[in-house]
Amino acid sequence: MSPRPAVLLAAVLALLPARAGAQATIEGRVTLPKTTPAPVVNQRYEIVAKGGVVATNPPLAVVFLAGPFPKPAPPPVARLIQKDLAFVPALLPVQTGTKVEFPNLDDQYHNIFSYSPPKRFDLGRYRPDERPVPSQTFDVPGLVTLRCDIHEHMRGVVLVLDTPHFVMTDPAGHFRLTGLPPGRYTLKAWLDSKTTREHAVELTDGATLRVDFP
Amino acid sequence: MRIARTLRTALPVVAALALAVPAAAVASEEFFDRLAEALTTSALDGAFRARLSGTLDLEGYHLPSPAPALFETTRPDLFNPRLSLFLDAQLGARTYVFAQARADRGFDPGDAGSRRRLDEYALRLTPWSDGRLSLQLGKFATIVGNWVNRHGSWDSPFVNAPLPYEHLTGIWDTEAVRSVHQLLLWSHVRPGLSAATLATEKRLRVPVLWGPAYATGLAVSGALGRFRYSTELKNAPLSSRPASWTRAQQWWTYPAVAARLGYAPNPLWAFGVSASTGTYLRPSAGPTLASGLGRGDYRQRVVAADVAFAWHHWQIWAELYRTRFALPRIGDADTLAGYVEAKYKFTPQLFGAVRWNRQVFGTIPDGPRGPVHWGRAVSRLDLAPGYRFTPHVQLKLQYTRQAEPAAAPARTETLATQLTVRF
Repeated sequence: MSPRPAVLLAAVLALLPARAGAQATIEGRVTLPKTTPAPVVNQRYEIVAKGGVVATNPPLAVVFLAGPFPKPAPPPVARLIQKDLAFVPALLPVQTGTKVEFPNLDDQYHNIFSYSPPKRFDLGRYRPDERPVPSQTFDVPGLVTLRCDIHEHMRGVVLVLDTPHFVMTDPAGHFRLTGLPPGRYTLKAWLDSKTTREHAVELTDGATLRVDFP
Repeated sequence: MRIARTLRTALPVVAALALAVPAAAVASEEFFDRLAEALTTSALDGAFRARLSGTLDLEGYHLPSPAPALFETTRPDLFNPRLSLFLDAQLGARTYVFAQARADRGFDPGDAGSRRRLDEYALRLTPWSDGRLSLQLGKFATIVGNWVNRHGSWDSPFVNAPLPYEHLTGIWDTEAVRSVHQLLLWSHVRPGLSAATLATEKRLRVPVLWGPAYATGLAVSGALGRFRYSTELKNAPLSSRPASWTRAQQWWTYPAVAARLGYAPNPLWAFGVSASTGTYLRPSAGPTLASGLGRGDYRQRVVAADVAFAWHHWQIWAELYRTRFALPRIGDADTLAGYVEAKYKFTPQLFGAVRWNRQVFGTIPDGPRGPVHWGRAVSRLDLAPGYRFTPHVQLKLQYTRQAEPAAAPARTETLATQLTVRF
């Protein structure tokens, strides 16, 4: 057996237990808020400024299935990079217990910090080539707002969820959540720190449910 | 003893603030985010964007007598509220406009009533996206040194400025000094100033740099690889007082020129060398000039070096200024001033900073008495813990101990606190 089929087989086998009882799908659309203007970069004393227009993601929502789900083992790892003086992605949903790495792909310092109650930290200033890449484990559910102590306009969000079943919408608000276990749950759409919409759902094996959040 | 009494009074207030502010501040974080959105506007499909932001500073000082540095008060305790508004606007990626307006009790804290000023306004054009060249026109902070980048109340770990930016020398900008003896009187090396002069002479003296030196002019800057260059043509030199910064007519008659070359081999280190020259006398000094001389003969020449280091939770800065005030028919009055400053973040919200400052003065010939130092050497230690309750609220405390052996008293202490709300 060549190595490639062996890897494929192992992957399929690893997925089988989860797929056997997790066949439901939810798809739909979330009405997203209006696009906000890109931030204005404070360059008052950064007299050598490159560019000046910083692009941000359009508004997106996170759709997730709330329920009593077990914590992952081993903890997953996600990445949230700093590139062109912005967080990419600007919104990162993760499951509780996820370790998030923060690589700096700019050629200058950043200083990421959060004062949000679920996770307070300050990574300090670290070189782009520094290893290990600075990281934090997010083990309390909630909203964590990321900022940069050097670049006032930078803003990112880590949404820590007590569920492995979540997905980001596309810029038009469409979403598709697959591999869901049958049962009764609450489907939630997180739009911002003040807006989370909910919808009760009952999932059955193999069925596809349509849910829109107006 | 006075310090101890002040501490007993101030500590309960600080403790109450430390308890009350966080609760209110956490609840208001959402408010500040909404406010920032409300104060941002855009047009032309996002190509034009403008944002209004600001800081509200509530400062309290407990001062020795006479008040040190640029304070203009005779009281031992001073409360100085300050509202600063910033406008940042971008038109595409090439045009940037900024302005800073303030309402406070004067540019330098004092007993004055409320004042309003437009401290900075500038237009910057950046023709190329790689930043090789940018042109800036307006009234803005000097390009010399590395303190200007962090002189705002939110960014600086201290309440006051480093010594070179606020310690008064014996040079007056309203009158040309006529003799060595007069200079030694003005610089307090020799006693003998009349009581009337002593009461007012503080308003006549100048430091090496007057704060961020928001003078009016033009700057050309750019980045070439790891090098940064900046040059500026301003209407007033580094030592000039705020009242001189808006006198545009001086720009063409007696321009001040400055340049800085910076080198950052990596994100950890940044080095810079600067130079500046300009006449330090104001137009009103005309009648006092030595015969046959013009104001342009009374020049301030500055050569400076700066270094910055940052890694993880450490930040360290240092600057050294060698300044020469030309005193025609007397000689050159040289002074060397500098400081080393370090900041460390103990926790995400608690930080501490220490700064050691020093200024020494060169000698000038005093006839048969030989060379004599034209100023009193001074050392100053600043200690400042600070705490950020939220991304919008910060509290700083500062203890300053200044040693000036030739002065009376030889040692003085200052306490300061600053609560900043940023929006």
